[in-house]
Amino acid sequence: MLSIRNLHAAVEGEEILKGINLDIQPGEVHAIMGPNGSGKSTLSQVLAGNETFEVTSGEVLLDGKNLLELETEERALAGIFLAFQYPVEIPGVSNLQFLRTAVNAHRAHQGKEELSAVDFMKLAKDITQRVDLDASFLKRGVNEGFSGGEKKRNEILQALLLEPRLAILDETDSGLDIDALKTVAQGVNELRSEDRAILMITHYQRLLDHIVPDKVHVLAGGRIVKSGDSELAKELEEHGYAGLGVSDDEEATAN
Amino acid sequence: MKAAPTLSPAFLQPAGGKLPEPLLTLRQQRGKALVDMPLPTRKTENWKYSSRHLKLTEELANSLPSGRKAGPGLALDHPHILIHNGVVVPEASDFPELDGIEISSFADLDDDTAGQLAERLDNTLDNQAIQMARLNAARFEDGLYIRLKPGAVLEEPLYVIIETDAGASGSAYPRLYVDVGANSQMTLVEEYISSGDDAALVDSVTEFSLGEGANLTSIRLSLEGDSVQHIGATGARLLGHARLDSHTVGFGGPLRRHDLQVRLEQPGAECRLNGVAVSQGKQHYDNHTTIEHVAPHCNSEETYRNIAADESHIVFNGRIHIHEDAQKSAADMNNKNLLLTTGAEIDAKPELEIYADDVTCAHGATIGQLDDRSLFYLVSRGISRQHANTLLTMAFINELVEQIPVEAVRQTTQARLNQFIEQAFEEA
Repeated sequence: MLSIRNLHAAVEGEEILKGINLDIQPGEVHAIMGPNGSGKSTLSQVLAGNETFEVTSGEVLLDGKNLLELETEERALAGIFLAFQYPVEIPGVSNLQFLRTAVNAHRAHQGKEELSAVDFMKLAKDITQRVDLDASFLKRGVNEGFSGGEKKRNEILQALLLEPRLAILDETDSGLDIDALKTVAQGVNELRSEDRAILMITHYQRLLDHIVPDKVHVLAGGRIVKSGDSELAKELEEHGYAGLGVSDDEEATAN
Repeated sequence: MKAAPTLSPAFLQPAGGKLPEPLLTLRQQRGKALVDMPLPTRKTENWKYSSRHLKLTEELANSLPSGRKAGPGLALDHPHILIHNGVVVPEASDFPELDGIEISSFADLDDDTAGQLAERLDNTLDNQAIQMARLNAARFEDGLYIRLKPGAVLEEPLYVIIETDAGASGSAYPRLYVDVGANSQMTLVEEYISSGDDAALVDSVTEFSLGEGANLTSIRLSLEGDSVQHIGATGARLLGHARLDSHTVGFGGPLRRHDLQVRLEQPGAECRLNGVAVSQGKQHYDNHTTIEHVAPHCNSEETYRNIAADESHIVFNGRIHIHEDAQKSAADMNNKNLLLTTGAEIDAKPELEIYADDVTCAHGATIGQLDDRSLFYLVSRGISRQHANTLLTMAFINELVEQIPVEAVRQTTQARLNQFIEQAFEEA
């Protein structure tokens, strides 16, 4: 479903990704782990189409389509969803208006009728409950004044509404207390389905206690240096990245 | 040396209208004082950015004929009073029959009342600073005098439509004087519209006199067409514990200029001034506000937001003057500006003049573009770039528009602003 071949990307002329290869099949959950500065977030931003990052070579195919030729919004409509590490606050645009606009953009793309305000409200209320957010969050500005955990739950809420082919979760576990982590993990588990893939990017093992991945990859210095099953994450937890011969020096090399 | 340009004598021709004697006399006196009035130039501080847009050609000197009905430009479908080319049109107006309010055209005032009004006319304005208000005083042919009696509370907003009918070239000089009695309360909506495509000038003056404890909400929409230059002044004097809430929304034109002057004259008076201006094409908009903190213990809050698209130009000049005796004043001014293109220009100038030492004053002005991170966030959800731009631009001003307390006005304004924004991104 997703196929990344020899992907290189740079920001301001400095190469961050140095040849990423990755294949993800429908229904699979992959975790990418790695030290700070290894290029984890760059990978997620490049897949979503952030123009700050320049793809210097390589190929990314989603269901056979060349993803890199598509604009950000076209990638979203093709089924890419990025749950941001730092969701943006947008005062003046209500969460409800934002979500409905996004859902209707997807529906229009799929040739379906747009949802009326009333029908959308029903759907949105149902899904806010599933991520344990109060319906009052729909009326507030997008992420405006939300706590860290509420922002992350709002990201999962969007994923549940937009039903992507590939959901990329960028450090969705960071900054969450244990209860919030459980709620978010529960939302992610609800996202799992046979025709959807999930790519989780994380620094820590703790999210993987709640969401068991099919595959785990270690990213360091802009390359995947090791891949394995969920046992690899436990190994990392016990021995740290140093146990793999990956140190913070990798960060220095990447910089 | 080139002599400074002066007002064409054509503008000093005798004006028409059927005014009571005291107002006629006043008008004549004001006319005489205008002979050789210097016109604002680039070197005139308060006209620095706008003087080149001011075109007082001789063809504009003629008074536009009055008396017809409101054209199709009407945005608000409500019972209203119509001022057509500066003259109140009773046949096209609905005068509310309510206890506690007296509404009359200047023409219909008896000599005694007209005499009292003549003594007060222009007393809310700093006429030296507002050159064009002086021209209005020499040319007005009628006006609307609204008196709210002490203690009266008007539940429904009062709508006044000020229409400039540019079926021919010329000028109009509408004028309103609103006397808000002690402890009374009302909402006034002024909607400036135009019809016709000929070049026209509207030079308007609105004055508010607020008694002790009076409460006035003033909503001013400037919606005229592209052939109309509008230079308007609003003056307000507030006695003790009076409160003025002002909401202005304006769309650009060949020249739109609004001077808003508020004097907090007695302790406890307070004002909140919200303003939105948008412009596109080669339009020009200039808001000049002044808040005079004359007495101690007064509060002022001011928030203006501007959006300039294409090659348009917006000016915001906000002056706060805290007089020596005005201890314990609190003044807060905030101005944010959004440029939608690299060709657009916004000049923002906060001016604080403080002569008292125990005051709380804050001001901030920013000029920026749409936030790239917000834009990326929206498009990453499949929302088109154009739609995302529209949402973010509307969000920038909606915070102010949402504070307009009359739902019908708020909705109309939002719809017009949405239309403006969608158009701005279509053409980009």
